[in-house]
Amino acid sequence: MRFSFTDDQRLFAEGLRDLLANECPPSRVREAWDDGTGHAPDVWHRLGEMGVLSILVAEEHGGMGATAVDAVLLFQELGRAAVPGPVLEHMAVVAPVLAAIRPGVVDGSWIGTIALDSEALVPHAAIANGVLGPSSLLENHDVADRHAIDGGRRLAAIGGGTRTPFDLDVERARLAITLATSAYLIGLGERMIDIAADYARQREQFGKPIGSFQAVKHLMSDALLKVEFAKAPTYRAAWSLATGASTVDRDVSMAKALASEAAYRASRGSMQVHGGIGYTWEADLQLFMKKAWALMRAHGDVTHHRRRVGAAVLGS
Amino acid sequence: MDLNETPQQAAFRLEAREWLANNVPASPLPSFDTAEGFALHREWEKKLYDGRWSAVSWPVEFGGRGADYIQWLIFEEEYYRAGAPGRVNQNGIFLLGPTIMEVGTPEQKTRFLPSMASSEIVWAQAWSEPNAGSDLAGIRSKATRDGDDWVLNGQKIWASRAVWADWCFGIFRTDPEAERHRGLTFILCPLDLPGITVRPIAQLDGDTGFAEIFFDDVRVPVANTLGDENKGWSVAMATAGFERGVSLRSPARFTEAANRLVHLWRTHADPNDTALADEVTEAWMMAEGYRLHTYQTVTGMLEGRPIGAESSLNKIFWSEMDVRIHEIALRILGPEAELVEGSEHERWVDGFLFSLSGPIYAGTNEIQRNIIADRVLQLPKGM
Repeated sequence: MRFSFTDDQRLFAEGLRDLLANECPPSRVREAWDDGTGHAPDVWHRLGEMGVLSILVAEEHGGMGATAVDAVLLFQELGRAAVPGPVLEHMAVVAPVLAAIRPGVVDGSWIGTIALDSEALVPHAAIANGVLGPSSLLENHDVADRHAIDGGRRLAAIGGGTRTPFDLDVERARLAITLATSAYLIGLGERMIDIAADYARQREQFGKPIGSFQAVKHLMSDALLKVEFAKAPTYRAAWSLATGASTVDRDVSMAKALASEAAYRASRGSMQVHGGIGYTWEADLQLFMKKAWALMRAHGDVTHHRRRVGAAVLGS
Repeated sequence: MDLNETPQQAAFRLEAREWLANNVPASPLPSFDTAEGFALHREWEKKLYDGRWSAVSWPVEFGGRGADYIQWLIFEEEYYRAGAPGRVNQNGIFLLGPTIMEVGTPEQKTRFLPSMASSEIVWAQAWSEPNAGSDLAGIRSKATRDGDDWVLNGQKIWASRAVWADWCFGIFRTDPEAERHRGLTFILCPLDLPGITVRPIAQLDGDTGFAEIFFDDVRVPVANTLGDENKGWSVAMATAGFERGVSLRSPARFTEAANRLVHLWRTHADPNDTALADEVTEAWMMAEGYRLHTYQTVTGMLEGRPIGAESSLNKIFWSEMDVRIHEIALRILGPEAELVEGSEHERWVDGFLFSLSGPIYAGTNEIQRNIIADRVLQLPKGM
């Protein structure tokens, strides 16, 4: 029993955090919103160079051959920076399964996303070279942008194009993307709390920083509590996925339920601490909040996953 | 990361399970907050000690097994799974004991730890005062130096186990000129000395689990000082860290309660009530999350990353979870939840009442939220 990450795992995540602090500050995320792509090719390129995009790709196909335990802290760091574009879909699902036939997934020169359930609201479809579905890979597809709330995760209807039959292990793909999304949500939650704490230290009312008031302290402590207690279940789910534990369905659902709830509480608490500025387009907080609101429902919302846990725990 | 138990850990679990299966009383003991129950719980502690299970994480020389944190969590899991009695000397073994090991002199360790492990001496905590609750630094009870003795005067309140305990550990003002946190000293004191009056207080459940302690010119040797004179605050905060952190509320108690809740749901609830099923699942996830979080914390401690102000997060989490688990159980039970005697389910209403003390004792949850905001989130100090 050893519930911790290795120094190497920690250092890789810290390295990614440093890279993203420089290459993907909120201003860069905002540019990706404003230019209509929801994608930051420069950041994407650096992630490819660093080996982040191919961390779950087998070594024989040029990847790092790592497991979900190695990747989970990276997903969390990507969330901390609200990195736009299909990082989750590409890293967790597309790159590991398509590396043999689309080697460009390794350095990211070939960008993939997924459509496991429907082709009506596909994230990142406009900038993807291919969309992986349950039974086929769609390329050269047509897209109709659907104007989603998160400008870094544009949704589009897809059609046309060319389809290559592909037998995707849909259940496995679902677990992988759900775990990755959970970790990303935790990173978003952490970052929103950091942003709000910064603001609470600066902003003065009644002649004092608002962070000195107990109403603000307690709001933020409660948000932090949710995020901190979502971490261990998410890391455990990564371990269950990596080791093929018999409880993996339950564990991944528990992670998604808790991480979604935590990110939502963090968004509400952080926005409230900001007051009026929190309700503006100008405040960077929105970049993180809207990502959280999109992802908390993606691949199953809190209720969906809680009921999956319930089915496992309560029996039928 | 490896969440499987090692063969050694599995063997340790098995050893604990077998010993408990052979020794746990067949029927539950009366509450240790009654005279009869207290005596029976002391006997049980002696039995645990004789099997070297009373303080598994303590060094062997003081009656423990030198178990690491993971083994300790495993023992706790087995202990609660076996339905073993509550720990009447928990204030000693889990709070004061670790503090003595950290700051006590070699003489104090030899003198106090073995008798604590065997519960020959049961300890009460004497910290709060009528005007020093959340504002613990407002302590007024004083200790005045007279030769080799301290002379204690004042009043303590909410002293858990004090009605039948043998000794108490308290914080007293030793430098009346010093401000607040400074000028306090941590003193160990027998409860049968002349000048001590213990007045039981009936708790919400009617039992006398805590008491007031009045000190009227009580003389104790200066050798009973734990840590340095006038440094009692930092000694007390170390103790409180153990209390809020992992020692007093190991996850096993909540895991067990959550499992009992699931069983209650299976046997008594309407399975078509999906909202209720959601609530039970939520409670189970809280307990499971707390268990995982604790394993992660203790692994960090074993690898040299000590727990700090984050222990305040644990305290809020487990206390609110405990209330939640019991609220849901009472909802499932319906009118039967009101029965405090003669019902097979009375343990749930007892547990509910007890759970309500959790957000208050060991530092109220509001104080914990302040600590988190100040030390983890680095927000500016307020009032």
